[in-house]
Parts: sequence; structure tokens; C-alpha cells
Amino acid sequence: MKRMTDIMPMNKHQGFTAGIVKVLLWIYSSFTFLMLLYMTYNSFRERKDILGNTFGKPAKFTLDNYIKLIFEDNFFHYFLNSVIILVASLVLLVMISSFTAYGLARYKFKGRKFMRIFFLIGLMFPAQLGIVPIFQLLKQIHLINNIASVIIISAAGISMPVFMLTDFFAKLPKEIYEAAVIDGAGEWRTFFQVMFPMASPVVFSVCITSSVTIWNQFFLPLIFLQQDANKTIPLLVVKYTKNLFSTMDLALAISTLSTVPILILFIIFSNQILDGVTAGAVKG
Amino acid sequence: MKKFFGKRPYLLFLAPGFILYTIFVVYPIFAAGSLSLFRWNGIGEKVFVGFGNYIELFTSSNLMSQMVNALKHSLTIFILTALINIPIQIIMAYMIYSKVKGKNFFQVAIFSPQFISTPVIVFIFTLLFDGNIGVVNKILELIGLGKYARPWLGIPEFGIYIVWIMISWAGIGVGMMYFIGAMKMIAFDSLESAYMEGAGFWKRLIYIVLPQIKMTVLNLVLISYVFSMTIFDYSYILGGTSGGVNGNVDVMPLFFYRMAFGDTNPLGGNISSNSIGMGTTIACVLFFMIFAIALIQLLIVYRKEED
Repeated sequence: MKRMTDIMPMNKHQGFTAGIVKVLLWIYSSFTFLMLLYMTYNSFRERKDILGNTFGKPAKFTLDNYIKLIFEDNFFHYFLNSVIILVASLVLLVMISSFTAYGLARYKFKGRKFMRIFFLIGLMFPAQLGIVPIFQLLKQIHLINNIASVIIISAAGISMPVFMLTDFFAKLPKEIYEAAVIDGAGEWRTFFQVMFPMASPVVFSVCITSSVTIWNQFFLPLIFLQQDANKTIPLLVVKYTKNLFSTMDLALAISTLSTVPILILFIIFSNQILDGVTAGAVKG
Repeated sequence: MKKFFGKRPYLLFLAPGFILYTIFVVYPIFAAGSLSLFRWNGIGEKVFVGFGNYIELFTSSNLMSQMVNALKHSLTIFILTALINIPIQIIMAYMIYSKVKGKNFFQVAIFSPQFISTPVIVFIFTLLFDGNIGVVNKILELIGLGKYARPWLGIPEFGIYIVWIMISWAGIGVGMMYFIGAMKMIAFDSLESAYMEGAGFWKRLIYIVLPQIKMTVLNLVLISYVFSMTIFDYSYILGGTSGGVNGNVDVMPLFFYRMAFGDTNPLGGNISSNSIGMGTTIACVLFFMIFAIALIQLLIVYRKEED
């Protein structure tokens, strides 16, 4: 099928206003990259040099800030905390929400409609409002100061993934399921070998949106991870940016190290990622 | 046992999600409601006070003034987002949808701050707006406007607007993607015929595109509302637990955090004798503010589907 934009020269004759808007877009977009470059550039300078001679010619470029961050301040310890939280939450979230969605979409049972609405409730209730009871609960089972607490809470927010996946599974033709059953596959094997792999575009979309939220989350770790040893990267960044006079160098190094690699990954896979975001948005 | 589940395989599929979701999403809402009826700080004696906490919240001049201040800021963020960000997002989306030159670059650049964590965003703005090392002041100096140089982040009146600017820079790409998604669903013959009839670039946006994405606009206004009422990180990082100088960046969730978890930290420090009671009370008030609006959204969407 021909796309509208193939036959319609929509990018022609846009006029003067559109020209101004375009210029503004160029400025705004460049600004974002310039700021990141500026941050990266300064992260190779010594603290005194940055604070005392911010816009002057740099005295020298050095990797000292990074060496200090990685070897003296154990950057990778905190990085590992963040990675464990991300991977564990994501695996749990995806598994649990696709089970639930499949159960809701594939089977007819009494109370199905109620259950669908039940799982939607979470969309209206931001997790932080229930944080006091959750804190009490986790205190009783001694999970405060344990990254498991952040993992469980992050994985429990399944409303949106369940909604998206239910929609997907419900639209799958019944024949696919029936064919698998005729081949002798049980309910679980059908799910794992046939149905779940088919949902991978939706799962990808869920993974993208959820991983950004989980990786950058601030509120949950702030409340549940009080000890230095189990802090995550965003909390470590705050530790350095709190007192810029004494830790400007480390603040620059950690901001660069925790931002630039992810953005490079994003730029490489931007087409797939943005498609995933749009797919999720259209469903939502 | 096996036979029971064999007949009802859905129970096994639903169980893990149901259990986790019920314990960590649904139960806390009701638990917060019931805890708000007690005077308690988690350690001492738990005393039932009925709606005492609510009455105290709305009559104590100290608490009330903190709440009004925080609520005013949360609503300021919402109104600015709805009136300024959403139109900008629509225009950005329309430009990209119309395949202007550089659209891939725009899309990536505008969306990328979404991947940056809040503390780093605040830090980047410090590099920009700081009084001594900030780029903005340097630029003002260079173009001869040095007398307007200010420690921008330290001006109390600007606080909440700076929070809004940071939120916007970080999040404007998400809404833009929503609109691009919605625009891609527009039937192409309507745009085509408008084009044939000579409708210009902006006329097509106003008369053809906007009416077809109005549900997305409505959705995004409501999402912005929920988001504005729950945003916490920026104010905490900029102004600490107290919400800045005289609470100049204080917002509702931070007010809640301060009451529930004390002035220093959740595990000790300056916790009041009623931290949990008052904390959950504020959470419930905030919850109803969100719920009332969310309900309106549901009704509108529901009615739309009935049509």
C-alpha cells in the first residue's frame, strides 16, 4: 500500500512559520547534544580547573576523575546494584504480566471482566501513595535495605503491561492455540513455545518503557535502600552533586558515565526503540 | 488437585500476578486508608482517632499552609505543562510526522533526555544556570548583558518554574511520541483531499489533524495531571526534604514524604509522633485529588466507546 506521504509532498510548501519552527527545532535539538558534550568535555578536567577557570583553556585533560570514581569510590559496585535491580525486576515483570495477560485473554471464566478491571486499577494509583503500608510490610519481613524490596515493588506494577499484552493475546487467532494443542503440547508448553514468542514485539515495547523507569527510579531506592552498600546509581549521583565544591569532578564523571553510554545505545537502536514507544503509546 | 487446575488452567496463569499485584499495589491503597484513621508513628502506641488526622490537616495553620503551598506548585506544573508543553509537543510531532528534513535527528534529540536520570538532569541544569560556573551567565556576559547575570537556581521565586523547565526538557519527547503515534493512525484520504483543495500546512494541522487526535490530547492532559501531582525527584534533589527556601520548590509528594518519613530519613531522625497517621492522611487526600480527575477521564472514554 502506498503511504500518504509518498504521494503527497507534505514536506514542501510549508511556508514561513514552518521555517521558523524548523530553525527552533534545530537549535533545541542541538542544545541537548551540546550540553551532553559540554558535560563530557568537563569530566576530563581537574576539579580546580573546572571551578576556577570554567571557560578558560583547560590546564590538561586527564582520566583521573574516572579512575577515582571507579577504583576509589567503587562505581561498579553501585552499577551492579542498578543492573541487578533492572534485570530482576524486568524478568519478573515480563513473566508475571504475560502469564496474567494470557490467562485473562485466552480463557473464558466467571469473573473475567472483573479481573480485567481489577488489574487496571494500578494505572490510577501511583505507587508512592501506598508506600507507607508497603514500608511497614517490608519492615516486618526484614527487606528494608535489601535490593529485593525495590525489585518486588517494581515488578508488582503490572497494570500497563497486562493491559497491553491482554489486548495482544486476545487478538491472536484461536487456530494457533488449537494447532499447538493438537500437536500434543500442554497449556504451559503452548504458552512458552508458541504464544509467548509471538508476543515479543509487545514484550519489547514493555521492556523499553519499563527499563527506563526502573533504571532511573529515585523514590523507591531513596526510601528502601538506606545503606551506602546497596545504593543505586541515581542515589550515588546525588551524593556527589549535593556538594559540588568538593566533588565537582566526581559529579561530572558519574553523570557522564551513567548517561553517555546509554544514549549511544539509544542512538544506535533509536528506530526500534522509538517504534516500541509509539506502539505502547497507541495502545495506552 | 491436579484435576482442579487441569480444568481451570487460567488460575495458574493468573495466580502469580494476582498475588504480587494484590499485596503490593491494591492492599497498600486500602491499608493507607485505614492507617490514616490512627495516630501512630510505627513504633509507639497506635491510637484510633477517626477522621482526626484529616481535621488536623485542614485546620492546623502550619500544615494547611504547607499543603496549600505544595499544592499550588503541583498545579502550577500541571497548568504550564497543559498550556505550553502539549501545544509544543503537537507542533513537534506534526513537523516530524510531515517528514521535515532532519526528522530523525529531532526525534532522537528530543526524546533522549528521557534516558537521563533526574539527578543528572538537575546537574546539567546546574552547569547551565549556576551563578559562578553557569553557561547562561557567561553567554550574557559575552553579549554584553552581563548585568543581568544571576545565580538563577538560587532565586526563590524562580524555583518551581525551573523545576518545570527541567521536567519539560526531560519528558517532552514522550508526549511527542504519543502524538506521532496518533497522527500515524489518521486516515490518509482526509489529509490528501485537504491538500488537494489547497489547505496549507498549518490549516491541515488545525482542521484535519487536531480533530482526529483530540482523544490523545485529552488523554495527555490527564496523564500530565497525574504526573504533575506525583512528581517528587526534582524538588527533593533541588530543595531537600524541606522543599527549598521557604518551600519554594515544595510539591505534594514531597510534603507527603516529609510528613511520613521525617525530616532527615525514614529510619530515624526527626520523625513526629504521628508520622504514619499524618503521612497516610496526606497520601489519601492526594489520592482523592487524582482519583476524581481519573474518574472523569474514565467516564469520557467510556462514553466515547458507547457512541
